[in-house]
Order: sequence, then C-alpha cells, then structure tokens
Amino acid sequence: MRADRRLIDVLRDDLGSTGTKEGCSIGVCGACSVLVDGELLSACLLPAVFADGSVVVTVEGLAQGDELSPLQVAFIREGGFQCGICTPGQLIAATALLAEHRRPSDAEIREWMMGNLCRCTGYHGITRAIKAAAA
Amino acid sequence: MTLTKPAAPDLLETPEWRIEGRDKVTGAARYAADIARPGMLHAAFVGSPYPHARVVSVDAEAARTMPGVRAVLAGADVRPARFGRRLQDWPVLAWDRVRFIGDRVAVVAADSLEAAEAAAAAVAVEYDELPAVFDPEAALAADAPMLHPDAAEYTYFGGTRPPRGHPNVQGHVIHEHGDVAVGFENAAAVFEHEFSVPRVHQAYIEPRASLVWIEGETVHVVTTNKAPFALREQMAVTIGVPAARIVVDTPHVGGDFGGKGLSLDEFALYFLARATGRPVRSVLRYADELQISNTRHAARIRLRTGVDRDGRITAHQARVVFDGGAYAAGKPVAGLLPGGPTLTLAGYHVPAARVEAVAVYTNTLPAGHARAPSQPQLTFAAESHLDLIARAMQIDPLELRERNAIRAGETDVDGAVWHDSLAPRVLATLRAASPSGGMAARDNGRGLAFSARHVGRGKTSLTLTLAADGSIEVLTGVADQGGGAHTMIQRVVARELGIDAARVRVRQGDTGHANVDPGVGGSRVTPVAGNAALDGARKLKARIAELGKTLDQAARIAAPLVVTGEGEQNEHLYGVYAYSIEVSVDRETGSFRVVDAVLVADVGTVINPVAVRGQLEGGFVFGLGQAVMEELHIEDGRVTTTNLADYKIPTIADAPPLRLVLITDAPGPGPFGAKSAGELANPAVGAAIANAIDAAVGVRVMSLPITAEKIRSLLRTKELRAADPE
Ligand code: FES
Ligand code: FES
Repeated sequence: MRADRRLIDVLRDDLGSTGTKEGCSIGVCGACSVLVDGELLSACLLPAVFADGSVVVTVEGLAQGDELSPLQVAFIREGGFQCGICTPGQLIAATALLAEHRRPSDAEIREWMMGNLCRCTGYHGITRAIKAAAA
Repeated sequence: MTLTKPAAPDLLETPEWRIEGRDKVTGAARYAADIARPGMLHAAFVGSPYPHARVVSVDAEAARTMPGVRAVLAGADVRPARFGRRLQDWPVLAWDRVRFIGDRVAVVAADSLEAAEAAAAAVAVEYDELPAVFDPEAALAADAPMLHPDAAEYTYFGGTRPPRGHPNVQGHVIHEHGDVAVGFENAAAVFEHEFSVPRVHQAYIEPRASLVWIEGETVHVVTTNKAPFALREQMAVTIGVPAARIVVDTPHVGGDFGGKGLSLDEFALYFLARATGRPVRSVLRYADELQISNTRHAARIRLRTGVDRDGRITAHQARVVFDGGAYAAGKPVAGLLPGGPTLTLAGYHVPAARVEAVAVYTNTLPAGHARAPSQPQLTFAAESHLDLIARAMQIDPLELRERNAIRAGETDVDGAVWHDSLAPRVLATLRAASPSGGMAARDNGRGLAFSARHVGRGKTSLTLTLAADGSIEVLTGVADQGGGAHTMIQRVVARELGIDAARVRVRQGDTGHANVDPGVGGSRVTPVAGNAALDGARKLKARIAELGKTLDQAARIAAPLVVTGEGEQNEHLYGVYAYSIEVSVDRETGSFRVVDAVLVADVGTVINPVAVRGQLEGGFVFGLGQAVMEELHIEDGRVTTTNLADYKIPTIADAPPLRLVLITDAPGPGPFGAKSAGELANPAVGAAIANAIDAAVGVRVMSLPITAEKIRSLLRTKELRAADPE
C-alpha cells in the first residue's frame, strides 16, 4: 500500500465502499468519520497504512443484515438527516458517543458531535435522534 | 347509542417515513461522486492566478507527455463554448481573457487524479495583466475596466437581454408605483439608512461532482446539478449537441441551498470525453467550491422611508447594488439579478415606492443563487431600518409592524395587491408567543423581524402506473436534494387514493425517461410537483371509477394503468413569517448568545411533518450562520477563506433552541392546501439579532455578519462618547 494513500481513498476507490463521504478533506466536517478499532477518526486525514490490520467500521457496517440499528431508525423518525451527505459520519460519531455514554446529556451530545457538520437540519433532528436512540 | 368506527387517522398527521431513509442511513444512497465507470479518467483544471488578464499563450506540451495523461485542452480547443443558466457568459475554458482568480484556462484528463493534478501544474500559461475592479460601485464608473467587451455574442435564453446602462451591468431593474414624491411630502418623518451584506457561501457539505461519457450518439452526464432538465438545455447550446442526445442523471444531491443549479465542470468534461473516448469525472475540491463557485451576492442597500405620525409608511425608496462577480451565468431569472431583487419591504403595505436594483460585474468569483435569493440581504436591511424607525418614533417595534403589515386589498412594495393576507395574524401569534411582562435580564434584549416569501411557482408533470399487484409507481424528474420531495409525492398520491403510503413507490428518472421538470428550487416542489401528484392520483381514481371497480380489482384486470399528472402554480402568493429572538450580550467582549428564539410561520397544510420542521429548524441555523459568523473574505479579488476551517459554519454547539409556531389552517395553492416552507426561516435571522442587540446594549450593527468585534467596537465608541460628550 502506498504510504500517501488515505483511508478514504482505499475505502471509496479501492473497495467501492462509498458510504463514507468526503466533504472538506481537512478533518473539519466529519463526513468521513469512521471507527478504527473503536476509535472515531477522520478517514480523509488518516494514511491507510495506519489502519492496516485494524477493524474499520463504516456506515455500511451499522445495520445487522436487514435490521437497522436503533440509531439509524431514530435518524429516520426524528428528521436526523435531509440530504444525507453528512449522515454516515453523524451515525458513526453518534454510535461512538453511545458506546461511551449510554444516556448522553445535551452538553455531552454537543461536545461529542461538534466535529460533524450538517448544513441541512440545524442539528435539532440529530439531537432528537440521538436522545431517542439512547432512551 | 350509536357506535361509529373511529376514522382512520389522516395520513398527513402521521409523521412520514422518508422513502430514501433506509438508503441514507446505511450508506447505500448514491451521490454523484460515488459513481464510477470502467476506464474512467480524472480531470484537473488550471486556474488563473490573476483577477483580470489577457491570456497570451497556453503551453501544454510538457503536460501532454507526462505519465498517465490522456488529454490536455485549452481555451482554443473549446472556443467559443460558454455556459450559463440564463446568460451564457462564462467560457468553458478562457481563450482570450480571465476575469477572476481561479477562472479556468486549461483542463487535463489522466488515469489518476494525482497524474491529472501534476500535469495541470505543468501547464505553462502566459498572462498580460489588466486593470481589475473589485467594488461594484467603482465598476459602474465611466472609466472602469470593462469585463465583457464581447457581450453581444452571448447566448441569452428567452428573448432579448434587457438593455443595460453600463457595460459592467449584469442586470438592472427599477420598480415604481404610486406617487413617491407626494408620499414623502406627506410624511411626518423621513428616515434613511445604509446596510451592507457580504458574500456568503451555500456551504453544502457535498462538493460538486460530475461524470460524463459518450456512448454512440448519446452524451451521458451524472451530476450534482439539482435541475437536470435545465442543465440539458444549457448544455445543448454550450456543446452544440441536440438536447435529445444528452441524458442527464442527478442522483441524490448532498445539499444545494440554491447553489447547485449552476454546473461548472460538465461542459469541459464533455470535450475531454470526446477527445479521449473515455468517461471523465471531476469532483471539486472544497477549496475550489469556496473560490470559484457561485456564492450569494454581496449587497449594499440604501433605504429611505417616509412615515406618518403613527409610523405608517407613506413612501419608500431604495437602491440595492449587488456584487455579481465575474459572470452572470449563475442567475436563472430573466433580469439577471438574484430573484426578488426589489422586495425591500416584503409583507408590508407600501402605498408608493421606487426601488432600483442593479447587479454589477466585478473581478471576483461569480455570484449566483442561494436559498431565498436577495431575501437575507434585503430583509436584514428592511427589518433593521424599521426597527430604527420605531425607536426614533418611540413606537413599540411590534406595534409598528402591526400598523404596516399588509392587509387584504392593500398594495405591497412590488405594487402587487394582496387578495388575502396572513400578515396581521402572524404578528398577533408572535405577540402571543413572546414572553411579556417581567424585566429582561441586564444586557439581554429581544428583537423581532417579519417578512414574506413567495409560494413557489412553475409547472411540471409526472407519470403514475398502477401495477397488477395494486401498487403504484410514480416516475418523476424531480431530484432529491434533501427536502423530502419524493416522500411528499408518495403521501399525496396515497392520501388521495386512500391507500397505505407503502404501496406507492416513487422513482426518479433521468432526462431520458422522466417528464420535463423545472428542477428543485424557488420553493417550488410542494406546490407544483405536489399538485401534479394530486392530479395524477385523481385521474387514476377517475379511470378506476369508469371501470366500476375497486383499485385492487382494477389493478388485476386493467394493469398497467398509466396516467400523467400535471401540476401548475402561477399565482403570486406569499407565506409570511416572523421571529422573536432574545440575546444575551457580554459587554466586555461583545460576544452574545441566543437565549430564546420563536418562529411563527404560515406554512399551509403540512404534508411531511418531519420535513417541514426540519426545513424550518435547518433554515434557522443556516440563517443564523450567515447572520453572525459567515463571510467569504475577499482581498483584491482573492478569496482568503479557502476551507471549512476558515469559512466557519455553525456546528451543533452553535445551534440554539427554537420554538416553532406553525399556522397550518390557511390553505395555500398546493395539494390539500399546502404552501412552501424551505425559504421561510433563513432570511430574517440577521435583522432579528441586530434588533435584539440594540435592545440589549443600545448599539446598532449595520452590516452582516453581526460579530463580537463589531459589537465591542460600537460599545467602546459609545462609552467614549458618554465619557466625553464633546
Ligand atoms: S472530509 Fe474528512 S473531515 Fe471533512
Ligand atoms: S443532512 Fe445534509 S448536511 Fe446533514
């Protein structure tokens, strides 16, 4: 693997796993959020070699077969997305949040989700969805 | 006692389950940048480092021989191809003159993006710099540098281009009604203020992407453009291929906010596909989104209004100067101004008005459409202006608005008579929803802003097919940019036919399969495509009735049953809305925080309750970003906020709570009485906050964004004045 290849390129171009999105390309928007051995990281910044041998979870890995995760269902019910471009990253970040805090407070949600930009929802629906999934 | 079966709940009252929901939460939803073709090449562009220059020569020899490079094209290879939505004034690749930093002069197609970018860097371009102009007022001077000496050659869609007084004018309009001079003579007081609003970006998270390939006679285009049929027509002219041989496919769009009606790369990709025989893809880097794509227009707005002793408007005069940037290509409307450029006092009774608006060429990145074009600029100015008038006249700001809010039979600022008006009701509702009595905390203040936005207009059609299993498929050309269009169509059809929403599938067709549609935008989808869905469902019902059968019987014996639903909405109608926002200001730093926000909006019948709420909440935070933090900094024509770290948009930590009060019982012209909601929430946030700041600490910010620095410096000046009245 070439040292300068980013994880996002390997995911999207080599593996055809296009659920992970690229927005800003500089680690600010969170559209490319993935879990690498459980750690929340930006795939646009991460050299692919660093993920070699690790378990990488992308949005494609959140449902169990046909069954959506409670968070995925809540995003649909509560208006957690509109255009959906930020959604894979939001879901990955929120999955990591719920793994850390089973019942996150508003402040914990804000703090944790600050690295995932959404231009559509104004974040209200995202907050509702996370709370509904945690309830 | 009679027992009645409880009626099934109205479908419209159950929250919708988004049709594309599963795809969007599993990563299965495809966006343009997700689509690849075998043998696909990647494109990279060469942009001008100068804001205004003559292109002397382009030397692509070195680039052509680099590894992996399949084609390099320069302006001379595409001349005279220009693109644009209404006026085609933007060269696909500049051959004689560049007009802003980033204007493209050459393009490379190569096996990999890295190879394409390396080759693009190796293209040697010689320029001869020309005097540049960055300020729109300066561009209107008699001796200003002229940007478009060849304007006579440009294609203008739909008749002849309106006359212009100066060659640097893109579009110019003067609206006048009533006797303005008499109105001012009769005024008890006349107020005049000037406001300014900077460039801001739509800042969708998905950068533009496109993929073009040629198969036999047919040109295929996959694009982030939200108006695929319009792109097909524009492209036909630009590349000289009949529209019937161009197929445009818009998959899910990752945010639009008005910006993605203009395509930038598709035309050059066609020339590369033709030169190489291969599919070619381009995905804009976010840095390019911020430096070359069409932003909201900056504006300078001078308002002059006369009022009688009670604060009632007697006459109004305005001049609005929009910075249009280097090309007018991004503007879809006939006047080549952003939409609604003269609606300075939207939603008020204005007996006499003279409003002039002009969009001007400058050597900066082009401006185009952005969510509710013109309105954030004009509403910030108008609602700040009225607040200043209320203060000076010592009239309560809400009272002043109530006195002037348009009523049925009165004339608005555009000279239109409203046959019906919800303006007084919206303001009364706002009054009831705003906390009253009690003392506001020190350095807290509440501001309000009121405005009106049209209900979308246009015409479209779609096809409904009843299948043998009793399901219905709707084929539409409306793209999904996140507003919930497909789910809205599904629910309208299901409700009219009295069936489960799950039995209605909505399929989006490309321009080769679906019926012509004007594209998402202008708050048009619900009232127009929604009416088409309703019409289709009614026609299907009528066919079933003719057969004397139930829907399921008809499906078994007569499927496939195909009807075309047509929808049109041409009435000039408005949805009105008002905010009341309370801020808390820190006098030391000038920073402030929104502690309460209420939005009252007249949205008509709600089809998708989750989506309507989302449009208003999302519009509020979008408007808040553009009101208090966003500004595309441009220095001598160079954008200096070139990434999403420098061009800051709101994060979840910046989103304040919002109370929504929806007025849903005043039916609009859409299906079942629906109106529009997508552009109601964003335009008025800036004024409500500026008014709240003034109420809190007595300083007035006359320009967006409303930053801590501006407030702090106004507070300092005020303190100094208080300390030394001389
Ligand atoms: S694309 Fe990786 S953080 Fe924006
Ligand atoms: S849903 Fe569009 S950016 Fe978040």
